[in-house]
Amino acid sequence: MSAIKNIRNAAIAYKTLNGLLCVYKPACVSLQQLQNTVITNLCRDLNALPDRPLEKRVEIQGPTNDAMTVKLVTNYADDPLVCGPRYIKEDFRCSWATHLGLFSSGVLLLGINDGTKLTYLINTARLTRAYKVHGQLGKATDTYFWNGKTVEKSSFGHVTREKIDKVIAHMQAAHQKTMFEMSGLHMESQTMFDLASQGLIRPASNKLPVIYGIKCVHFNSPNFTLEIQATNEYDKYLWTLIHDLGVQLKTSAYCTGVQCIRQGKFDLKLALLRKHWQLQYIIQNMDKCRSIMEENSLLLKPKSASLAL
Amino acid sequence: MMNVLKKILVHRKYPGLIVRHGYATTKKKIPDGSEENLPIFQYPLSKSSDRRVYVWGFAETGALGIHLPRGKRAKKGYKNNFTLAWHPMRSTFGERFDVTDIACGYGFTVASIKTNEHHKVFGTGINTDSQIGYHAPRIGHPLELLLSPAPMYIPYKSLESKIIGVSAGRAHTAILTDNEGVYTLGNNAYGQCGRKINKNEEYKGSMVTHNISRLGKEVITNVCCGQDHTLFITESGRVYASGWGADGQTGLGNYENQGVPAPVKGDITSEKIVKVASTVDCVLALNDKGELFGWGNSEYGQVPMSVKQQQVNMSYALVNFTKGIGKIKDIAAGGSFCLIVNEQGDVFVWGYGLLGLGPNVQHSTKPKVIPAPLFGRNEFNPESAVEKVACGIGHLAAITNNGDLYMWGRNRYGCLGLGHSKDQYFPLRVSVGALVLKVVCGVDHTIVLSKPYL
Repeated sequence: MSAIKNIRNAAIAYKTLNGLLCVYKPACVSLQQLQNTVITNLCRDLNALPDRPLEKRVEIQGPTNDAMTVKLVTNYADDPLVCGPRYIKEDFRCSWATHLGLFSSGVLLLGINDGTKLTYLINTARLTRAYKVHGQLGKATDTYFWNGKTVEKSSFGHVTREKIDKVIAHMQAAHQKTMFEMSGLHMESQTMFDLASQGLIRPASNKLPVIYGIKCVHFNSPNFTLEIQATNEYDKYLWTLIHDLGVQLKTSAYCTGVQCIRQGKFDLKLALLRKHWQLQYIIQNMDKCRSIMEENSLLLKPKSASLAL
Repeated sequence: MMNVLKKILVHRKYPGLIVRHGYATTKKKIPDGSEENLPIFQYPLSKSSDRRVYVWGFAETGALGIHLPRGKRAKKGYKNNFTLAWHPMRSTFGERFDVTDIACGYGFTVASIKTNEHHKVFGTGINTDSQIGYHAPRIGHPLELLLSPAPMYIPYKSLESKIIGVSAGRAHTAILTDNEGVYTLGNNAYGQCGRKINKNEEYKGSMVTHNISRLGKEVITNVCCGQDHTLFITESGRVYASGWGADGQTGLGNYENQGVPAPVKGDITSEKIVKVASTVDCVLALNDKGELFGWGNSEYGQVPMSVKQQQVNMSYALVNFTKGIGKIKDIAAGGSFCLIVNEQGDVFVWGYGLLGLGPNVQHSTKPKVIPAPLFGRNEFNPESAVEKVACGIGHLAAITNNGDLYMWGRNRYGCLGLGHSKDQYFPLRVSVGALVLKVVCGVDHTIVLSKPYL
C-alpha cells in the first residue's frame, strides 16, 4: 500500500509499469485471457486515478487586420467523455516468459511494456521450473489428463511409496544422457568433461525437455504427487511422464493437475493471486521482481552452461 | 441481418454465457457411462526372485547367446543376423531360467541357474579350448563356437549342490559350488585350471573337468579368473593362486607357471581377504577391514612400489597408497588401470588408459576421484553413491545405489552399450530398464544381471 501513496496521478503510475510481473495463473484460464484480464484491470485502475489537467485549446479571435485576442478555452476533444478513457488495452505491451498450458496453474512471469525484453531474456536463459504434478493410479485416459476419455482401468494395490521412489529415480537418471546431448558440446571434448563434472548442464536449445529432478512428495493410493524440476518442458510432456510412470509401475495412471511452483528464483510466495491483479499490488510485485533480478544478475544472462536453478 | 440481431439478443439475454465460454475447457468431460463397464486389468507382476539378463557388444562370437542362425540362401537373411548389439538387449535365456550368476570370458559367457537338475551351468560363445564344455553334434567333431547357450556337463557328486559363483578367464572357466569345491575346465597350458601342466594336452574337444574340493583343508568361498590364472579365496580369507606367473600375477614369489594352487605370499598371508579382482594380469585384493592389496603387472603403476618394479610377484599392502580414501567397498582391476569405490560412494581410478577423467587425462599414478556428479549426484539427488565397480580390459563400469549402470572407456564393438562405437571419456548411464545387480565385462561384450522394478 505504501507504493500506491506515492502515486499522485495516472501518468506517473503508467511510467512505473515497465518490468516483470509474477502472477499465479489459475487452471483452465488461457494465457491470452490472463493477459487480457491483467491489462484490463490495469487500465481500469489507471483510469480511476486522478487524471492530468485537461489540455486547453488556444483560440485566437478578432479581425485579422486589427489586434487579435488570444484565449485559452476548454478543449473538449481532450475530455475523456469525448475521446474515451485515457488508458486503453492498446497502450500496453505484454508477453509471457514461458508458456503455461491451459490446464496448468501456478507461477507465470509476465512482462509489461519494457518488461517484454526481460521475458525474452528469461526465455533464452532457460530457467528451471519446478512443478507439482498430481496423478492418479488405476486409470488411463486418451489425453493422459483428467479431461480425456478413459481407455483402461487396472489394479494398483501393489504400488507402494518405495516402488514409486525406485522407478522415478531411474526416470531421473535416464535424463543424464539427454542433458549432455542437449548441451551442444562434443562428447569427446575436455570442455564437455569439465562441465559435466560440475553437475547439471543447461540445454543449448529449447527442442527437447530435460528433467533434472523427480521426487515423490505425496502418496496416498491411488493419488500421488510428484515434484519435477525441468526445463523446456510443456504441460503435455508432464502428463505423458505420469502415464509412463503408470506403465512402469505395472498399472496405469493419468494426470489430475499440474502446478508450477517455481521458475528460477520466482516462487509461489511472490505470485499474485487473481484477486490481487490490481494496480497497487502489480506495482509492488514489479518492485520485488526487480530486486530479485538485481540480486541475481546471472539469472537472465548466465555466463556458463552449468545450471544454477 | 437477422442472424446478427439474434446473436446480440442472445448475448443480451445471457451475459454470463460469454464469460463462461471464455473460461470453459476446450474438451469437456461428458460422462457417458462407458467408464463403469471397463474391465479392471491386472498387469502381471514379477516375483522378487525374478532376474533379467541384458547383453550387448560383439555378437559374432556367440557370446551374447542371442545370435540366431541365418535363413536359407533363397530366403531373406534372418533379421537377428547382426554382428553386434549396440544397446542392451534382453536375453531370452534369462527369461527361461532363473539365472543366479554370470561370468564373461574372452568371447564367451557362462551363466549358472537355480535348478535341482544336473545342468546347472550354461555356456555360449567361443569354445576352442573346451572352456564351456564338450559339445559335439557329431561324434568326434566338437563345436568350437556356440551361438546359443548350451548346458555344460560337470560331474557333480550330488544334484543338491548349488552353484554359488562362476568366473571365466581367457580360455578357462571356474565353477564354484557350495559343498563340492571348484570345478575348472578349459585351457590348462599355464596351470590356470589348477591341475598339473601337461605340455602335450589337446584342449580342443577335451572332456576334462578338474575338481578342487578343498584348499589347505578349507572350503573355497570365492573364485576369480584372470587372463590365464585363477585365484581362490578360502573360508578363513586366505588366497590361493594357480596359472600363468610371468608378470607375478600368481603372487607366489616367482615368475613360474603354477599347476596346483598355492597360497599367495607377501602381506596378505595374515589378512582375511574378502574379494580379489583381476581381469588381465594385475590383481587387487580387499580385506575385511576395507584395505587394499595388490600384486601382478605394474607396468602402468597399478601396484606402485618404492623401487621401480614392473612385475610384482608378491602381494603388497597398498594402505599408504590409498591413504585418505577411507574404507574401500569394492575393487576392480582392468588391463592397465585399477578402479575402487569407497564407503562414501566415490570412485577412484589410477593407471593408464581412458580412465574416465576426460580426454586430457590418460595416465594417473595416484588414485584420482572421478567427479561424483558424473554418477548422478547433484542437488536434486544428493544421496546417489556408487556401490559396485567392474572392469573389462579397456572399459569400466559402476553401479549406483539406485541400480543405475554407468560405463566408460574403450568402446570396442559397442561394448559400452551407448548406441555407437566411439570411446567414452567419462561415465555415462547405460539404458538398462531394470535395477542392475551385477555387471561383468568381457573383452568385447558386457552382460548385466538385473532385477525388474516390480
